Amino acid sequence: MNEQMVRKPGVYLCKGCGIGEGVSVDALEQLATGDLKIQTCRQHDTLCSDEGVQVIAKDIADGTVNQAIIGACSSRVMSDRFNFNGTQVIRANLREQVVWSHPAGDEDTQMLAADHLRMGVAQASKTSAPGTAAEGDFSRTILVVGGGTAGLTAAKEAAATGHDVILAERSDKLGGWATKFSKRMPHLPPYRDPQDNDIDALIAAVETTSAITVMTDTIVTRTEGSPGKFAVTLSKGGTEQVEMIGAIVVATGWRPYDATKLGHLGYGASPDVVTGVELEAKLKAGPVGKKAVAFIQCAGSRDPDHLPYCSSVCCGVSIKQALQIVEADPDAMAYIIFDELRTPGTAEEFYRQAQEAGVIFMKGKVSGVDANLCVTYNDELLGDDIPLEGLDMVVLATGMVPNSTNIEIDAAPSGADQLLNDINPLSPFDRAITASVAAGDADAVEVKKAPPTGSVAAVEAVEDTAIEAPFPGGPILNLQYRQGPHLPVLADGFADSHYICFPYETRRTGIYTCGPVRRPMDMSESAEDATGAVLKAIQSLNNASEGQSVHPRVGDLSFPKFGLDICTKCRRCTVECPFGAIDEDKNNFPILNPSRCRRCGTCMGACPVRTINFDNYSVQMVSDMIGACEIPDEFSGKPRILVLACENDAYPALDMAGINRHEYSPYMRIIPVRCLGSVTTLWISTALEKGYDGVMLMGCKSGDDYQCHFVKGSGIAQERMSKVGETLKSLMLEEERVVVEEVSIADSKRVAELLTRFSDKITEIGFNPFKGF
Amino acid sequence: MPDSSSSVMPLPDNGNKYDLNFARWVYKNVNGGDKLSMCMQCGMCSGSCPIGTEMDHGPRKLFMMIRAGMKDAVLSSNTMYNCTSCYRCVVRCPRGVPVTYILQDLGRVAVQAGYAEAKKTDNARFAKAFNWSTRAFGRTDERLFTLKYYLSFGIVTAIKKAMANMPIALGLLKTKRMHFGAPHRIKGTKDLRAILDKARAIEKSKQGF
Repeated sequence: MNEQMVRKPGVYLCKGCGIGEGVSVDALEQLATGDLKIQTCRQHDTLCSDEGVQVIAKDIADGTVNQAIIGACSSRVMSDRFNFNGTQVIRANLREQVVWSHPAGDEDTQMLAADHLRMGVAQASKTSAPGTAAEGDFSRTILVVGGGTAGLTAAKEAAATGHDVILAERSDKLGGWATKFSKRMPHLPPYRDPQDNDIDALIAAVETTSAITVMTDTIVTRTEGSPGKFAVTLSKGGTEQVEMIGAIVVATGWRPYDATKLGHLGYGASPDVVTGVELEAKLKAGPVGKKAVAFIQCAGSRDPDHLPYCSSVCCGVSIKQALQIVEADPDAMAYIIFDELRTPGTAEEFYRQAQEAGVIFMKGKVSGVDANLCVTYNDELLGDDIPLEGLDMVVLATGMVPNSTNIEIDAAPSGADQLLNDINPLSPFDRAITASVAAGDADAVEVKKAPPTGSVAAVEAVEDTAIEAPFPGGPILNLQYRQGPHLPVLADGFADSHYICFPYETRRTGIYTCGPVRRPMDMSESAEDATGAVLKAIQSLNNASEGQSVHPRVGDLSFPKFGLDICTKCRRCTVECPFGAIDEDKNNFPILNPSRCRRCGTCMGACPVRTINFDNYSVQMVSDMIGACEIPDEFSGKPRILVLACENDAYPALDMAGINRHEYSPYMRIIPVRCLGSVTTLWISTALEKGYDGVMLMGCKSGDDYQCHFVKGSGIAQERMSKVGETLKSLMLEEERVVVEEVSIADSKRVAELLTRFSDKITEIGFNPFKGF
Repeated sequence: MPDSSSSVMPLPDNGNKYDLNFARWVYKNVNGGDKLSMCMQCGMCSGSCPIGTEMDHGPRKLFMMIRAGMKDAVLSSNTMYNCTSCYRCVVRCPRGVPVTYILQDLGRVAVQAGYAEAKKTDNARFAKAFNWSTRAFGRTDERLFTLKYYLSFGIVTAIKKAMANMPIALGLLKTKRMHFGAPHRIKGTKDLRAILDKARAIEKSKQGF
């Protein structure tokens, strides 16, 4: 909405779904037209019916109302019914969070409904319709980096949707590891036998597609810009060219774990101790001619000294190779020594096939392999150390290492620091301490405990210690971002993404990873993954060209606006942005790249002078909503507790609590926030000054198994709130008045319990002494 | 039954506690052994076995010992002879392993390979007496077969065991489950013996003992 336009809010109260029976809607109407000075207020028995929607549409059409405040169900439902072509709709959640979770006709329930209405009206007075940030020309070309199974599939699928594709491959030919494999694991029913390797057909399909420009011997030396407007410098054998790119798919794949580190498993002691990849080469060349072959699973995997994770495909690969050996020679024997055999999905059928073919599976841990190929393993099912003698080949099933860096080029300056800083879940603060402890520098630990996470001081502290890079090589894309050249990775080197909900999205908008660089996977999974990533890349460039956000706030046009007049250039917004959306200009002022932004508001929560705001979500808006609620005095015996609930998981969980009729304390005043990362400490002090007795922040799980939809938001909130306690103490307030809870979307029963328990706790502590001042 | 097309495979013997070839030999030469490769070590067989407590090793462990190549330990265990063929394990096995058949045939292998001589094990004495009665009359005659079994321990033990079982024998007589007089016979005892001889000859030619 234009600033000059006069706000004409209208309140619409629904009486359906039990609202009419639970609370006095007439009293609410009185409140709206009386204290809240709303000109237009209407009631309806079923507001979401055609007739009810018509009531609102009519007011909008004749110009009496240009902001509809709907007191009915949660904003999470009926958004398609209450959609009036761009007219702002504000929802007061009278159903799930009032009448469905609190006793009907109760005084407290009525007060809660009234406060929801007050908050809705306060929100309407501060929100305005966002304008679009989309300007200029947007490229629709997709760049695929890596020409293996995943990259080839991505290129093929992107071309099939009508996009131009540039496929950049580091080596001199396409196909990647797949060209070195004899057969592949079954990917078609009945999932029983090793299948022919069809990589050549895929290569041919890509090479003959005119929309795909294949560039071998090519690496990306520089990437600037944002989704829809990436300027990518490609270097083909040293000759550079710049291409305009809409979105990027990174499919740089994997490399086998370095088997020379596996001396204890006999690698190097005998030419007949080989890795799975080496055996593939032999199988491709012809019959192996061995009579007794043992496969050692988890060779250097799930081992804290080597790869700590499971590569998931090695079991299937060994089964495939064992089958190939016994099928080629009925007298040959294959033994698979496993600790835990992992055969996900249809691989279970494949496992059965191998059993039927007589491959012998033994459960145990291998303790050593000697030069005579005697494998000693501890059989867990027999409880005995058993030597396997008379083998003529030992195969080490080594794991997959992600190519999240290009090991053929030199490390970028500051690349190591970025990789360390961005590794989830370790914060720069933790890293600095870990590194100092490792270096035996006790004083440094003390010094580095001071700077808060994400602050410039912490980052600089890390830079000072000159830590060795966790992964060798240079950046894949060499991003020219404030936050460094690499795609952020997890501790094991795989690309960081919200694993469950948004697996392809990296923490750099418009750049998607697929294939084994994202997680270990086989050829058919890579192909599927590539298809998914390409679809996300296409969505991303479409959204960018329309000025819309990508996940999870798809369609959101708002973006943070920086009030540079009072900006102190503290750089907290540029450092804490989980997506690297904010760069710095030469005067160190923040510059937003709108199409990189995911609208989480972490910058808004970070800004110490509160000068970062969205059109429809601002520090002032939430402060006003907090202030709008009526605070009963201490003699009423009714405390008030502010709940700032993340709209991604906590708010739906609270709605679910209502749907499941889990009753909880009626003293809660719940305000949805975009992410806990957007919570500014000002809201907490406002609440306590206004006389709220407690504040609860409810967000997603942080840490290594984070569920935060904005990756870092809830972790950052935890850090910020850990500092609030001291402030409270200085105000002579109890630290327990402010808590952070991590909930998941399925926790409907738990959230109700958490709220009631916190309410009891606050009653125990006593009322806020600032009440009434 | 073992694959009749395969040639005679001698029982592997490398002289060690563990022999890699034993598992494959069992897979190929023991009745039901081809299904043994499907075993996933869930332990349903051992858990279901009503007399598993009497066995040196339950079927689950015995099968793992086969895979590990513990030939001597497998063939000298008493597991096979304690099986009562109740078939509970066969019914319950999620992988369709015919546990009972495998145990029975492993018992035969153990006897033929000399691991279970009648002098050494109780079960083998019993089996031998049972076999004698069947061969002689085409039926099991409770009196003579029991007597034969008891006598294999020596005359003193035989009398002691017989006296201890007197009340059972009287009960059986009373309810006409046992009779005096000559043992019941089938009509063609001679033919039966010819059949049994032939079966043994075939078995021998195939197993190479």
